[in-house]
Amino acid sequence: MKVDVAIVGAGPAGLIASIELAKNGMKVVVIDEYYRSGGRLLGQLYEDTKSEKKRMWDGKEIANHLMDEALSLGVQILCKTTVWKIESNCLFISNSEIKEIHSKAIILATGAIEKALPIPGWQKVGVIAVGAAQTFTNLHRVKIGNRVLFVGIDPLSISVAMEMKKAGIHVVGMMLPAPSLMTGEKSNPQDVLEQLLMVAHMAPNYFFRIAGKLVKGKIKKLIVNLLKFNLIQIMGIPLYFRKAVTQINGQREVESVSVSNLSTNGELSRIETKLEVDTVCLSGGLLPLVDLTQVANCILVDIPELGGIVPLHNKYLKTSVEGIYVAGNITGIEGAKVAMAQGKLAAFSLLYDFKIVSEQQLQMAFNEVDIARKSSPISFLPNIKIGRKIMEEKWKAYSIPIGEK
Amino acid sequence: MENQNHEKEISFTFNGKRIKGIEGQPIAAALMANGIRAIRTCTVTGEPRGIYCGIGHCYECRATVNQKRNIRTCLKCLEENMDIKSE
Repeated sequence: MKVDVAIVGAGPAGLIASIELAKNGMKVVVIDEYYRSGGRLLGQLYEDTKSEKKRMWDGKEIANHLMDEALSLGVQILCKTTVWKIESNCLFISNSEIKEIHSKAIILATGAIEKALPIPGWQKVGVIAVGAAQTFTNLHRVKIGNRVLFVGIDPLSISVAMEMKKAGIHVVGMMLPAPSLMTGEKSNPQDVLEQLLMVAHMAPNYFFRIAGKLVKGKIKKLIVNLLKFNLIQIMGIPLYFRKAVTQINGQREVESVSVSNLSTNGELSRIETKLEVDTVCLSGGLLPLVDLTQVANCILVDIPELGGIVPLHNKYLKTSVEGIYVAGNITGIEGAKVAMAQGKLAAFSLLYDFKIVSEQQLQMAFNEVDIARKSSPISFLPNIKIGRKIMEEKWKAYSIPIGEK
Repeated sequence: MENQNHEKEISFTFNGKRIKGIEGQPIAAALMANGIRAIRTCTVTGEPRGIYCGIGHCYECRATVNQKRNIRTCLKCLEENMDIKSE
């Protein structure tokens, strides 16, 4: 199969990129592992506090709309297909008819995966990753359990817990994972609450909006004071910042969790109580899914502010390998609106290199990413802008030849 | 039979038992809708296993589908009369 551009990932970034490229006359194919396109949009269903016109962010509806538009522009979408190798503009795929795709350029928009949150008993039936819980609830509309506990308190898990509650599932509360080598700051009540409040402008709840403003005013003491409240609730869901799950119990399936109190500094009490639940949602945070950039020999850099190891790229989303661009969560963990704007930017960056759009048009697409960031209802990482700056500096250091330094 | 969301209800078997699901939904979702969360047995510990990541990465939800082993039920879409067995 021969195309102008191959895009990996049919989520918000990949679909928008395909639409912009097709509008400019490019022959485009989008490849995705899942059985339908939309990516993480599919599970999203929440109130958009930043939008004036439309109050609900219905990801599935947006995904359907983008898919229809892409298809009407002649974009080919290959679902249920895995890209397993990329070598000099050739993609090797798991498709019984098409084995290889030859393209002039590639956009990798593979998104993110969830970080594991291993606590004893996490292998049991009834323990489910928060992203899967979201998809089963909002997309498949299946009840994942009768008494659901969330472990890991962060913007994603809070929004999923709220969605689940709205769907009529009994969410018994949210707690932290017990401290271990794997959990780090996710088990420290102060760190967790501080991280949350730094992104609290997204505020699903009035309490967080006010608290978020205070923290921006650098009143750190407030956090410790907030932790003295034993019952912080969002939409009737109790957030237990001072309780940690030490173990998940059950014979064949989840029956209960063992819970201990945490001090404000994250020290675990020796006294354990049992809480009866049948389902545990684990939320360990998101990690950019960079495997394909690695296979394609792109240079990777570790920038924790962006969510971990990400492909080195310039501000127009070009990687260190000629002809390979990136967009969406593969560049750092942000919301769907930013991913969509990045999809357009990657497309324009590519079109600029192919001399199809002007520098001015490219600059406009670049500016739209910042606008999208400002209008995002949910932020995931508190220092994302610093992370983007670090990436720009790393690109400068890479792109200026040694002799000129 | 089609419901109000234009979804077609079909039947399939899980470990020989005939149950119903929506055509085209992932097998794992159809099983969960029937209250089935344990999909396979771990060959090392003998413990049951079910859905974990839901995006085809963890391989915890695999089953034998129409005699084909190691099919990830979170990705494979349900078809009429599918024969699904635990591994």
